[in-house]
Amino acid sequence: MSSSNAVGYLAGIYQGFSGTIKGLMVTLRYLFKPSITVNYPVAKLKPYDRFRGALLFDAVTCIGCNLCVKACPSDCIDLQNMTTPEGKKIAKVSWYSIDFGKCNYCKLCEEACPTKPKSVWHSLDYENVFFSRHEMVRAWQQGDPWCGTYFDPADKKYRVSQEQIPIEEIPARR
Amino acid sequence: MAEATTAAPSPAPAPKPANVTSPEKAVLSVTRQVFMTHTQGTLLANRQWPTDMWRNVWDSFSYRRGAMVLGAIIVGLTAFGFLVGEFGETIQFFHRNYLLWAASEFPVMPSWPAEALWILVKGVIVLHIILINGLFLVWWERKISAHMQSRLGPIFVGGWHGWLQTLADGIKLLLKEDAAPSDRDHFLHALAPALVFVPILLCFAPVPFGRELAAANLDIGVLYVFACSGISVLGIVLAGWASANKYSLLGGLRSAAQLVSYELPRAFSIAPVVALAGSLSLTKVVAAQEGYWFGVIPKWFIFYPVVGQISFIIFLIASVAETNRVPFDIPEAESELVAGFHTEYSGMKFALFFLTEYGYVFLASALLSTFFMGGGAAPLPFLSVLPSWFWFVGKTMFFAFCFLWFRWTFPRFRVDRLMDFNWKFLLPWSFANLLFVAPYLYL
Repeated sequence: MSSSNAVGYLAGIYQGFSGTIKGLMVTLRYLFKPSITVNYPVAKLKPYDRFRGALLFDAVTCIGCNLCVKACPSDCIDLQNMTTPEGKKIAKVSWYSIDFGKCNYCKLCEEACPTKPKSVWHSLDYENVFFSRHEMVRAWQQGDPWCGTYFDPADKKYRVSQEQIPIEEIPARR
Repeated sequence: MAEATTAAPSPAPAPKPANVTSPEKAVLSVTRQVFMTHTQGTLLANRQWPTDMWRNVWDSFSYRRGAMVLGAIIVGLTAFGFLVGEFGETIQFFHRNYLLWAASEFPVMPSWPAEALWILVKGVIVLHIILINGLFLVWWERKISAHMQSRLGPIFVGGWHGWLQTLADGIKLLLKEDAAPSDRDHFLHALAPALVFVPILLCFAPVPFGRELAAANLDIGVLYVFACSGISVLGIVLAGWASANKYSLLGGLRSAAQLVSYELPRAFSIAPVVALAGSLSLTKVVAAQEGYWFGVIPKWFIFYPVVGQISFIIFLIASVAETNRVPFDIPEAESELVAGFHTEYSGMKFALFFLTEYGYVFLASALLSTFFMGGGAAPLPFLSVLPSWFWFVGKTMFFAFCFLWFRWTFPRFRVDRLMDFNWKFLLPWSFANLLFVAPYLYL
């Protein structure tokens, strides 16, 4: 609006007002669009298929080969084979644990797993938050659900972690 | 396969069958059961990208339902207005009969105590208009800002789209500790919120909410409203001074400079309206806008060529500046001054400042609809079946929406540009507008 002549002055006013109206129209248009966020605790979004969420483990298919333990860069997986009464290891897992406090969700364990379908794999569960450090260490033994258990020091019991979202089946286990 | 040893007691592992999927399914059922018992909420499995969602919004069921709910609200409010009808005359009738009853019941008493009681009732009603308006506008602002940013906003409190959110916030503010700096000027620090709030209460006295619905039919209503709203500046400066805080002081001083400056174009932009109406009374300003040109165009001052539009735009801009709202919110600029003059206020004292801001938004909207949109006049002749207060509140709420809309669209002015804009643009044009109104008066 600092033009020297009258035409420039009026043109400046016109520009200012038209720009203002344009900005207002943008916000008005977005006002009537559906919101992209969801009402989180009531409704939850499903991440995309290649999202790397909390790890699941299937003790039935695991052969106890230790490849995932070796592949893990942050050293958060621990594994114990079943043994015969003579102390000889067999291709079956008796204890398996993942420390989610250390896990960096890199998918190397899943890639290393030789079984088909995979014995350890990423779910789409992004709600792996914990109330205590004990909860971070997930443990599995034969017959446990895929989401695993944690050791509760209060009553010396293994419990199933709570507050998980039911998306462990998607995508299909690779 | 030998006997397996397990460290913890658990059901004996089933013998491994040939088909690997069946034990998997057995475990899966356990997992699913765990998830079912321990989860909350539903999973939106077929969620699309926003761009996909926005391409055909009407395909979405929830969008159509939302549109239907909005339509139903508008239809319901219209039906409510139609059913209630005009009640200004009823109140006047009640008032006359009340005075007659008081005179006959207490013949020795003068008439002013009865009149004072009546005025007290009107004051309480006006106070509640401000309070309820604050409750509504805060919630509305949060919802509108949320939806302009593609969010949802408050959604839980009250059940339907968080409509009780402001009430919950109010209760929280009432229960909060009143933290204040120890260096403050105790008396002024406590006085400032009251000094800010009381003028807004006074300002609503002459506003005509519809036919015969003004709390006080003042002859100098326009002057009175501007004079009373000017007192609030004093409260803001006091709040800045008494807080013993440099940010508060800066906010108070900026506020004083801004509000005093913008008073001028605001008042001068109203001068043509007052000249056309021939009166300072708000009721007479409304009465001057009755009727229609050619039976369709209402004789509102905004439809007077050139002069009406210039007045309207200047008054709108100056009103946004007067209410300290974005883009003119330099007195409480968050990024520069923490919160400006109310940095050191908390609890209910802060709530009073907040309430006053929304009260002034409502007042400015009410003045906009009174001066330029014909107050309670219907936009088309056949629409006057709906009562005047319905149209007045509708127009006022439209302008209140504009205030919220500006806030969530524009960035803040710089201090010097704010002053440039006022003194070098708005004020000269409002003077020029006085020139433009002369032909109308001559005709």
